[in-house]
Amino acid sequence: MIKDITIGQFFPGQSIVHRLDPRIKLLLTVIYIVMLFIADTFLGLFAGIVFLAAAYAISQIPLKMILKSVKPIVPLIIFTGILNLFFITTGETLIKFWIFKITTGSIKTAVFMIIRIIALIIGTSLLTYTTSPIALTDAIERVLSPLKKIKLPVHEVAMMMTIALRFIPTLVEETDKITMAQKARGADMESGSLIKRAKALIPILIPLFVSAFRRAEELAMAMECRCYHGGEGRTRLKQLHCALRDMYAVFISAAFIALVIIIDRVNIF
Amino acid sequence: MAVIETENLTYVYGEGTPFRKVALDNVNLSVEEGELVGVIGHTGSGKSTLIEHFNALLRPTSGNVFIDGERINWDEKKTLRDIRFKVGLVFQYPEYQLFEDTVYKDIAFGPKNMELDENEIDRRVRETARLVGISEDMLTKSPFDLSGGQKRRVAIAGVMAMEPKVLILDEPTAGLDPKGRETILEMIHHYHREKKNTVMLVSHSMEDVAKIAKKILVMNDGRLFCYDDTKKVFERADELNAMGLSVPQITRVFNRLKEKGINITEDVYTVDFGKKLVEKVMEMKK
Ligand SMILES: Nc1ncnc2c1ncn2[C@@H]1O[C@H](COP(=O)(O)OP(=O)(O)OP(=O)(O)O)[C@@H](O)[C@H]1O
Ligand SMILES: [Mg+2]
Repeated sequence: MIKDITIGQFFPGQSIVHRLDPRIKLLLTVIYIVMLFIADTFLGLFAGIVFLAAAYAISQIPLKMILKSVKPIVPLIIFTGILNLFFITTGETLIKFWIFKITTGSIKTAVFMIIRIIALIIGTSLLTYTTSPIALTDAIERVLSPLKKIKLPVHEVAMMMTIALRFIPTLVEETDKITMAQKARGADMESGSLIKRAKALIPILIPLFVSAFRRAEELAMAMECRCYHGGEGRTRLKQLHCALRDMYAVFISAAFIALVIIIDRVNIF
Repeated sequence: MAVIETENLTYVYGEGTPFRKVALDNVNLSVEEGELVGVIGHTGSGKSTLIEHFNALLRPTSGNVFIDGERINWDEKKTLRDIRFKVGLVFQYPEYQLFEDTVYKDIAFGPKNMELDENEIDRRVRETARLVGISEDMLTKSPFDLSGGQKRRVAIAGVMAMEPKVLILDEPTAGLDPKGRETILEMIHHYHREKKNTVMLVSHSMEDVAKIAKKILVMNDGRLFCYDDTKKVFERADELNAMGLSVPQITRVFNRLKEKGINITEDVYTVDFGKKLVEKVMEMKK
């Protein structure tokens, strides 16, 4: 069912990872991504994965959720793997047919890239699993706020993101409901040709759009009634604070990125 | 014969997540054919979840559902559609599922899915439109141009037009004014009398249920509290109160009168009946 979409889904909890300042978590995620991309060796990548595994262990996210986050990108992984397998030509040739050849180098690169992509997805999912979407957009707004100086509507963009995120579950739920209602009227969405199936979506999409517009209008009205006028001079109900644990987290991840760099320089593998 | 039966029906939302919630807990019930059943229970007691099982929209976590004596077989997807034609389900706020460009086409959506021929579809659309009080000239209008109450009636007609053996309505009067509620209730009652089909009506209003239901099914925290004649259920006023439900206002009034020592033997749960009774008592006093 549609409910199974998990990218960007919050998994509430009380672990240290959950309680980190969202700005710091954002920063850590960036550090982690950089770490993955400067790692040029398997050992470097392994260090990054150790870092990730530790973070997941602390956050107590079940293994099932991790696998779920990888599922939607399986086609991308396979595609990347195949591309690398065929187009990298370094190393000894193992198999050769027609214009393709598979070499030791291509296998190595393919495996490396696959691990890197998986680690990337699982790592960024941790951010969204442990941070509520609202906290996340809040953090993004704060991190980007210097851009206000060059007249970028940072607050408005963040507000739009918050609203969009807020309404994803609502829309998903609504889609499920409408789907059920049309199924109850005998709509058949599971069989037939591709065109027939696409047509079967009409009874779902139209009510969905109608209700999305209705909601948008109601929300705009409600915001205006409460005198919302943009970011100018607005204060926050929940202030973000950096705590000692945030310092530790930055320190540990800095140590890890240093480790990755050192491993790569030494180049033992 | 029982048209709907459940056997140890249990349903859990969000199994394996922190949001796990047992919505139905071991429900056993059997609804006879031709009955008009009211379904009541406080909010979140599992009414909607229960009825969504009756037309195979939800797959039980454990237990079975029997329609017309046949077990719903979830592994045979093809049979599920037939069950949905047999058990028509009108969701809460059904007007949000209208999508065609005319009222006529929207009511015809269900019958069309049943692959009936044109004449039969036409007959059904016109007949149900009449039944729910949608005039001929409204049939060519866009459903989005109707009033809230009219939209609701069109949506209900869309399910009725499939002529299901069992018609289930989830809070069909929610969010309407007293007159709109009255119209919808009357319409359902009328449908029941005309078609003699089984009807289940989920409602928060004891008055509504008392007015038309012969039997009442009470849900409490995912469990079946009782399923009995309207009269018998409203006799258990104290128990209903304890689970956050009530009995119709008029019943409360007459219960108080009884407490005060006025000689009333019958149970009262509709205003009409109460009125007659009062007149009778006054008559005797003269
Ligand atoms: N899609 C869902 N996901 C998770 N939990 C749900 C879902 N739908 C319902 N629930 C939970 O299951 C329980 C029963 O819900 P249900 O909708 O059946 O109640 P109801 O009796 O119809 O209530 P109401 O009178 O408010 O319509 C509730 O506690 C609800 O929170
Ligand atoms: Mg409900």
